[in-house]
Amino acid sequence: MQLAKENLLAFYQTMVTIRTFENKAAELFAAGKLPGFVHLYIGEEAVATGVCANLTAKDYITSTHRGHGHLIAKGGKVDLMMAELYGKATGYCKGKGGSMHIADVDLGILGANGIVGAGQPIAVGAAFACKYQQNGAIAVCFFGDGASNRGTFHEAMNLASIWKLPVVFVCENNMYGISNCQRDHMNICDISDRAAAYGVPGVTVDGNDVVAVFEAAAEGVKRARQGDGPSLIECKTWRWRGHFEGDPATYKNPEEQKTWLQKDPIPRLAQKIIELGHAGEADLANIADAVKAQVAAAVAFAESSPDPVPADVLTDVYAGQ
Amino acid sequence: MTTVGIVANPASGKDIRRLVAYGTVFDNLEKVNIVRRIILGLAAAGVDKVIYMPDYYGIVPRALEGLSSRDRPLFDTVPADIPLTCTQQDSAAAGAAMRASGAGCIVTLGGDGTNRMVAKGCGDIPLLPVSTGTNNVFPAMLEGTTAGLAAGVVARGLAGGEPVVRRTKKLLVVKDGAPADIALVDAVVLDGAFIGSRAIWDIEPIRQIVLTRCEPHAIGISAIGGQLAPIGPHDDRGLAIELGDAAAAVLAPIAPGVVVPVSYRGYRALAIGEHVPVASTPCVIALDGEREIEVRAGETASIRLTFDGPLVVDARAALTAAAAAGVFRLPAGSPAQT
Amino acid sequence: MKKMTYAEAIRDGIRQEMKRDSAVYLCGEDVGKFGGCFGVTAGLVDEFPGRVLDTPITETAIIGSAVGAAAVGLRPVAEIMFVDFTGVCMDELFNQAVKMRYMFGGKAKVPLVLKTICGGGVAAAAQHSQCMEAWFTHIPGLKTVMPATPADAKGLMAAAIRDDNPVIYIEHKQLLGLGGDVPEGEYLVPLGKADIKRPGTDVTIVAWSWMVHRALAAAEALAKDGISAEVIDPRTLVPLDKDAILASLAKTHKLVIVHEAVRTSGFGGEIAAVAAEEGFDLLDAPIKRVTAPDTPVPFSPVLEKAFLPDEGKIIQAVKELF
Repeated sequence: MQLAKENLLAFYQTMVTIRTFENKAAELFAAGKLPGFVHLYIGEEAVATGVCANLTAKDYITSTHRGHGHLIAKGGKVDLMMAELYGKATGYCKGKGGSMHIADVDLGILGANGIVGAGQPIAVGAAFACKYQQNGAIAVCFFGDGASNRGTFHEAMNLASIWKLPVVFVCENNMYGISNCQRDHMNICDISDRAAAYGVPGVTVDGNDVVAVFEAAAEGVKRARQGDGPSLIECKTWRWRGHFEGDPATYKNPEEQKTWLQKDPIPRLAQKIIELGHAGEADLANIADAVKAQVAAAVAFAESSPDPVPADVLTDVYAGQ
Repeated sequence: MTTVGIVANPASGKDIRRLVAYGTVFDNLEKVNIVRRIILGLAAAGVDKVIYMPDYYGIVPRALEGLSSRDRPLFDTVPADIPLTCTQQDSAAAGAAMRASGAGCIVTLGGDGTNRMVAKGCGDIPLLPVSTGTNNVFPAMLEGTTAGLAAGVVARGLAGGEPVVRRTKKLLVVKDGAPADIALVDAVVLDGAFIGSRAIWDIEPIRQIVLTRCEPHAIGISAIGGQLAPIGPHDDRGLAIELGDAAAAVLAPIAPGVVVPVSYRGYRALAIGEHVPVASTPCVIALDGEREIEVRAGETASIRLTFDGPLVVDARAALTAAAAAGVFRLPAGSPAQT
Repeated sequence: MKKMTYAEAIRDGIRQEMKRDSAVYLCGEDVGKFGGCFGVTAGLVDEFPGRVLDTPITETAIIGSAVGAAAVGLRPVAEIMFVDFTGVCMDELFNQAVKMRYMFGGKAKVPLVLKTICGGGVAAAAQHSQCMEAWFTHIPGLKTVMPATPADAKGLMAAAIRDDNPVIYIEHKQLLGLGGDVPEGEYLVPLGKADIKRPGTDVTIVAWSWMVHRALAAAEALAKDGISAEVIDPRTLVPLDKDAILASLAKTHKLVIVHEAVRTSGFGGEIAAVAAEEGFDLLDAPIKRVTAPDTPVPFSPVLEKAFLPDEGKIIQAVKELF
């Protein structure tokens, strides 16, 4: 797999954007500026980035409650996202969805989702539509280790397999379903093992290595586009934060946490970029500064945006209302 | 006191070759099942103790837990005292721990990659490799029970010496003058800068191949050499191949279900001790099927063929020798099982 | 006009829309080769190759995938074999299909028809006989359609498919073989428009689905006793044609609501509330509800007969108002 300088720098930019956005969201939440729940993607940036780099705006993704990273990697706009986190009228969902329901159907983002596992059959349906319309697009379903225990996983995998649908199931195994570590919620360690039960190829890759994720996703996406059916890619990664902001995550083993923090995907890529001579430390710092400014502008946009008006509660229930 | 080691790698058989090719699906439940059979074979062969590599899945504890009470072996089963990193380093550390605790044989479950790691630590403890990986040249497809019996008779000293236990070759990768890593079957130099998803399934970026054995019946990179100049595991030579656009090509099964033309510029036999320098950098060196070493611009690297690889048990020869010695012949009056 | 059964009319409605719009497809358990558990979709699989899909027994994925397909531009008609099975796909319906538009700030539409069948009277017992419509009416974003006649079955199916919202279209087992005149060619019945199935002056009976016919039979009998009952079929519970009900009350001043579903939290309670809130001055008698009791549906035909509302129970309720 030959990755050009532009690819690597784009990976870097996307991962840094996600990290910066999430750190800012953590800070704003702690300051009491964001209502509701916020589930952060810090530490898992390589998964969304490596996968979405293989997609176009015509392809679809379904996301999860921990969805900010998927949205950014698929091209979501940080100012509209931030305004939505604030519940403002200018947000992606006009303040009606919040962090857990951000969507941009025009960009193929079929929504974050507050129900664990719900995106799986929805992605299968989007993939069915791609096949039915023969439009060459595909769907990617992001979900976590916990969601692979849901019945939706079983039904979605099975239907995708028998209908040979263009869908890539991307399991972000961050080792925890809320407070339950993986060994307490399933009796296997590689979720890719589950694929065989549906006649689907399943692979496991290092989810903290954006290049490894990119390579595996490229093959899954190629397979889907060629009409060869679904695949399951398990990306082993780690949720740095609690399940939601405010969760102190006392259930995590501090040693394990320490080990995983050392596998931070962003410095890993940065080091590689520098080694290859694609950019110097100053160049990367410039990218990070530009991202920081972009996120700061998003916050300013959100804060200066109007709240929705009370009458808006009644709109958007039905189409053609 | 006869001790046998078991290294069962929970990560083998999951890589991207299931997606880009048709790699065997080996789930961990089947590895657990194989370990059960190995344990029962070891018990029947009179082993006193089993020391195993701990892993995040718990292959060996699960194997024991699932045995029916009737079949529970009476011997001790203990984990090797190693820090669990859940990486391939665990296999090397387990090999070393087993060597230190005087194991007479180590049964490995995995592919070429797993054995490569165990070999880094096990010294001259003979390996009995059981295949559960993807591109397997080094381990054999063996039934677990008979693998356990064979490991047991070797560990007890009831069978040994050639042809039961034989020395294999290895490749030593030297980077900037220092030993960096080893391979048991193949070392492959690829264009590129990334280890990425590790496996090799595309011939295009391959520039150089160095082989300890060239087996026409093997799957993987070794098969390319097998088409050019067959070399067995015990022959005192290896092979170096240079790839690239050229008139000459062979068809070889480089991954499961992937039989592709491979163009080569030339190849030559390697004598034991000979070095093959890496021709250009930056590059990545894959060892026994997985990209492992990044060689950056300005660094130097070479690959050296040696004949000091791990000792390997031939299960068939071991059990033939055991039969000839009457190891499993029961004395008159022993209770027959019905 | 053409004589058709209710089942044929449903099929005709689906056929009409599939011919009109290639984005419409039909999927569900046994809807293809088998023609549907009750034969409703017979033959469509041959008429529309590749557009009628047999699914595995997988209610969650049937509705979940229909949500995904609808959100990206298709118009699925997704069948759940019995309304009793909707529990298995409830999240896909009530948290996904109907909320996407609202949660996404109006930037999505989910034109999905969940086609299913309800009702008792065939000794199918507690898991194949229920009337669950009240559940669905409690979900903002969803429309609930319950046709009682062949013509309505066709026109409402076509309208449901053309609607840009999730619609649950609930057939009734007892009505499948019912014959009637059905308009040929393109025919639509708008959602949210009640139908006066029998005009009358003395009492308003609101009933839907199978109960329309029991109400009509009761009205016929009541006429002989000199009571003129008006039978209103709302046809769709959401949206509900309140005006039609209130207009009838303005004439009759008495309201009896009949539904096959169990009593507590049944949709009859909602209609009664509408009458009380918006038509209190029109009423000159207490509102009556004729419903099944608050029990599961029993198996034994004797017990099931006792469970179901019938003509006699309707007549009795009406007479209590005079």
